[in-house]
Amino acid sequence: MRGLFLASACVCIFAVGVICYFLFANGLPFFAKYSAWDFITGTEWAPLRGIYGILPMIVGSFLVTFGALLLGAPIGVLTAILMARFASSRVVRVMKPAVALLAGIPSVVYGFFGLKLLVPFTRNMLGGNGLSMFVASILLAIMILPTIIQTSEAAINAVPNSYYEGSLAMGATHESSVFRAIVPAAKSGIVSGIVLGIGRAIGETTAILMVAGNQARMPTGILAGVRTLTVNVLLEMGYAADVHRESLIATGVVLFIIVMAINFIFSFINRRRVVQ
Amino acid sequence: MKLRSFTALLLILTMALGLTALAADFDAKQVITVVSREEGSGTRGAFVELTGVQAKDASGEEKDNTYSEAIISNGTNLVLTTVADNQAAIGYASLSSVLHNDTVKALKVEGIEASTENILNGTYKIARPFNVVTKGELTDELAKDFMAYVMSKEGQAIVTEDGLVSSANDQTPSYAAANKSGSLTVGGSTSVAPVMELLAEGYMELNPEAKIEVQSTGSSAGVTGALDGTYDIGMASRTLKDSETEKGALATVIGTDGIAIVTNLANPVEDITVEQVRQVFTGEVTTWEALNK
Repeated sequence: MRGLFLASACVCIFAVGVICYFLFANGLPFFAKYSAWDFITGTEWAPLRGIYGILPMIVGSFLVTFGALLLGAPIGVLTAILMARFASSRVVRVMKPAVALLAGIPSVVYGFFGLKLLVPFTRNMLGGNGLSMFVASILLAIMILPTIIQTSEAAINAVPNSYYEGSLAMGATHESSVFRAIVPAAKSGIVSGIVLGIGRAIGETTAILMVAGNQARMPTGILAGVRTLTVNVLLEMGYAADVHRESLIATGVVLFIIVMAINFIFSFINRRRVVQ
Repeated sequence: MKLRSFTALLLILTMALGLTALAADFDAKQVITVVSREEGSGTRGAFVELTGVQAKDASGEEKDNTYSEAIISNGTNLVLTTVADNQAAIGYASLSSVLHNDTVKALKVEGIEASTENILNGTYKIARPFNVVTKGELTDELAKDFMAYVMSKEGQAIVTEDGLVSSANDQTPSYAAANKSGSLTVGGSTSVAPVMELLAEGYMELNPEAKIEVQSTGSSAGVTGALDGTYDIGMASRTLKDSETEKGALATVIGTDGIAIVTNLANPVEDITVEQVRQVFTGEVTTWEALNK
């Protein structure tokens, strides 16, 4: 029986290993032909002329993710607090499956929703052509909500009720007990929910491709289009040949390193907190 | 909470619909929304070459000057959806995908309607070849027989029916079924795949023992696949690159596809010149008003 468990665990480790190997084995040869510095800091992307600069996509990925967090993190955390501490059990019974459903909607459906509803709405209300960083951020904010809500709610629920009762006993109101005693105690769980959200946002592709306009130049404004790293890979992979193809895999390597860096920074912060 | 968010959604929906209805009159002052394809796409490659969007720069090097603000869509359907939803949009797609689509309008080019007849008689300017790619001459019996079918009177009839322009004439031989068996994998260009599927169906009807699978991946993937043996036959909607012919790739034209310039149905523009197309797609002209001057 133990062997079965071990085998299952090995499948997982094996998959990670193979993916890492594939990514680096196929992506690194590109850097022998093209300087890594030019690749990361170049602002022009013209693969058919041999110019590969992905700085616009790196900046694009960060901006879109930042916009999503700006919108999604407060809404998500406040929703989690509502579900854990404010809402009646009847409301929670409706909201929990609703949030789970939100998590289960395929990303292409989000993309279609964005393309058919948010894009025309933005075009008519705010100007521009609608295919923009703004819509991409809103869409991503909705997509990361379930991740943030579910993780934060679990963290808040895990705080012992004695914190709350103790706070009430000292004369604090319900609100201040929740916000001053419970939420701070659940902080690390809430932060991990947000970091998971960042991971989801930076890795999202299909939905963004449909609404972001995908121009490969430095972002020029919130209502103008943007291309992210993931979109760059998906957009051009079907037709890419030779060095162009390698450059896309190298784009994947850069994305992989960014996501790993975020995870390391996060676990570093978490570990330090535990030590304290 | 749920009810409230539902109401909010409903409100947004009504407002969006209302505004779309209000904006029904075409405003020529609008900035043109240019919709292009991704770098490496066969359709884009053919389009920029045929319209002069790609031109030699000062150093004599070919440069794709597609407007940097152009929306980039990675598929014919996404281009058509984007154009159908935006009054100020202009895009391009293969003629065969536009012929049966009434959500967008195909413009006349230099006064010539984008139609099969006009590509055949050479008057419609924006057209490109659909290639099948093999590694050297075919040796597999089934693959040879399938290619004979594709180039036969029957195969070319299917090609023509799909909106492509066939080079077939009275001398083109008929196909006689040889009852071949086995399986073939054909893969590559997403533009060629739909007609290839029709051809495969037609062939399998005549040769029930044979099985032909068509995979839609992209022109470059088609050539690479044909060279490394992943595909018995590759498909490409562009001419081959030198690096590909050097490795032994051999292309055969099975038909010619026109590229249609498409706009929103609400757009009053009916006719465009190749030079105007170039100006729009390089960003030299940015409003519909300026284009019509």
